[in-house]
Formats: sequence, structure tokens, C-alpha cells
Amino acid sequence: MKPYLVLGCDRSASRALADLCRTGYVLPDEVEYRTLPCSGSLDVLYILRAFEQGFERVLVLSCNDDACRSLDGSRRAAQRSARARTLLSEVGVNPRCVSFRQISPTMAADLCIWLDEFVQPLPAEAEPEKAE
Amino acid sequence: MIVAERKPIAELTSRLAPYRRILVVGCNTCVAVCSAGGAKEVAVTSALLRIALGREHPETRVDETCVERQCEVEMNAELAPSLGNYEVILSMACGVGVQTLAEQFNTAVVIPALNTKFMGRPEGLGEWSERCAGCGNCVLERYAGVCPITRCSKNLLNGPCGGSANGRCEVDPERLPCAWQLIYDRWVALGQLDRYLTNEPAKDWSSSLHGGPRRIQREDIR
Ligand code: SF4
Ligand code: SF4
Repeated sequence: MKPYLVLGCDRSASRALADLCRTGYVLPDEVEYRTLPCSGSLDVLYILRAFEQGFERVLVLSCNDDACRSLDGSRRAAQRSARARTLLSEVGVNPRCVSFRQISPTMAADLCIWLDEFVQPLPAEAEPEKAE
Repeated sequence: MIVAERKPIAELTSRLAPYRRILVVGCNTCVAVCSAGGAKEVAVTSALLRIALGREHPETRVDETCVERQCEVEMNAELAPSLGNYEVILSMACGVGVQTLAEQFNTAVVIPALNTKFMGRPEGLGEWSERCAGCGNCVLERYAGVCPITRCSKNLLNGPCGGSANGRCEVDPERLPCAWQLIYDRWVALGQLDRYLTNEPAKDWSSSLHGGPRRIQREDIR
């Protein structure tokens, strides 16, 4: 099973990915990409289920704020990604395992960089500061 | 409606740690409306429990279901055939639902997943406020429809106290309006400000929980 899951909006992320793949780019082996009809359709449960199934990290790619065809979809996706982070931290999952980014169909080059970052190990969590 | 909120997952996992076959049971009425224990919250809580409990014991089974009203025995009957498969029921209903399941089924332990908070109403998205303490002898007509028992921080039946300032309650001015300001404003609006001057005698609390567990019996509908 692949450890990393990307959930990308059909209107932006999937088009940017298609653009990127036309240049010969191939998704890293560890990454599974799934298209969302609109990032507003993303449910908290969808992210939780991914971790239940064994994914270790999830990247949500949503349209830019003013470009969402459902008007509020990006804002909702951002809210739900934040909620998923809060819930997952309750069960000891590093909240940084859920990332959220906004993208347009013309941002293939940015997507390439983000996917590369996405498969890098997470920096170690900062130790809580010790009381003097 | 009854307003509740979920306990922290860490508290639930510590209570559930000894068990391997768990059934999470939600309720589709009050606690669903206040987003604490309906089908959606049951699914989210179950997913979190599977992640947390599955780490040490991957064989742990967490199943989920929801009944229409967990406080009614008839509506829980549908659970009976499958209950033999579980050691524990995690109830996501209010305390009434939890007790109903515990009374009804004696083959499984029943654990509450929610903290039942109060009888209240929604104040907009994601916010609820307390409006009634079930005192058993409603006196709202004497207070212009504003309950001083639940809305005045000091439960004053003859108010206000000396701490009311600019319409806010001294206990938490940011969050709380002074109930007695609300009562005053409403008497003014109704043109009955003279009622504000009525002195209330001490309330008889025997109709409340302080008088012992309460029960209503209606012969006409038995
Ligand atoms: S007076 Fe008693 S019954 Fe009426 S709203 Fe207040 S607590 Fe509830
Ligand atoms: S300020 Fe008003 S609401 Fe607060 S305790 Fe005094 S009378 Fe009650």
C-alpha cells in the first residue's frame, strides 16, 4: 500500500497534474492521487478513513479562494482539513501529517515542488520547552 | 433540546482499553442536532477509536450504529440481535440514553461517550446556550420570559445583584448578558415595568431535583 495520499480538486489540482505529466513527470511511487469533484465535497471522515486504511500522510489540494466554482468549497476544505488535524492529534497523529494547499490549473511547476516536499520525512516535532 | 459534547478521545480509549469488541451506538435526536452523538459523530469517533486502539491491538473491532431515540426502549430493540457480538457498548447519547441501554441490555458493559451538559438552544452555528434547569415549577411568566435560574449566574429570583454593569453580567461580561437587564428590557418593551418591582418569595425547590428523583404518571394515556 502507498503511504501518501493526495486529494486534489478536479478543477485545479487534477488539471495542474495533467499538465505536469505531459512534461514526462511521473508521480512518486509512494503517492496515490485521488480526484475530488470539488474540494468542498471533502469530508473530515474521508481524511480519517485514509489514516484508518493505513495512509501516513494526506495532502489536500484545493482551488484558490476566489476561483472555487462552488464559491465556498476551498474555505470548507481548509476548515475540514484543520478539523481533521485537531481530531487526529487527539489520537496521537502528528497534525502536520495533514497538509492543505491552494492551487490553480496553471501551477504545474509549484505542484511538482510540493509533491517533492510531500514525500520528504516530516521534521521532528519540537520538544515541549522545559520549565526552568 | 438536550445539549452534550463528546469526551476527549484519550478518556474514551482508557475506558475501552480492556475490550476488543466494541459497539458505538449513536442517537438521532437531540445529540444529533447539537452535533455530539448523531450518525456523523458516531462515524468520526469510531474512526478515531479504530486508529487509536488498533495500534496496540489490531484485532480490536469497533462497529457503529445509530438508533432514532436511545431514551426509548422500543427504539433500542433493533440492537438486541447483534449485541452478543460485543463486550461493550459506547453510547453516544445523553445520560438518559446511556441509562436506558444499561437497563435494557445486561450482556454488555455500557460506557458514556458524551458529557451531557444542559437543556438549551442553538445560538448560531456551533454554539448552544442553557435555557432551562427543569426546576419543575416554571415561573417564566413572572420574569418576562427570561429564566433567572439558568440565565442569571447567581440564580437570583430577586435581582439584579450589584455587579450588573452596562447590561453585562459581572461574572463574565464578555460572554454573558445580565439576565436581570434582559428581564428589565422586556418588561419595558411590554409596558409592564411595574412588575419588575414585585418581590418574589423564596422558591419551593421540592419540585426540582433537590426534592428527589422525579416521575410523571399520566393515567389518561397509560
Ligand atoms: S423557571 Fe424552571 S422550568 Fe422555567 S425555564 Fe427556568 S428552570 Fe426551566
Ligand atoms: S450581573 Fe446580572 S446576571 Fe450576573 S449575577 Fe448579577 S444579576 Fe445575575
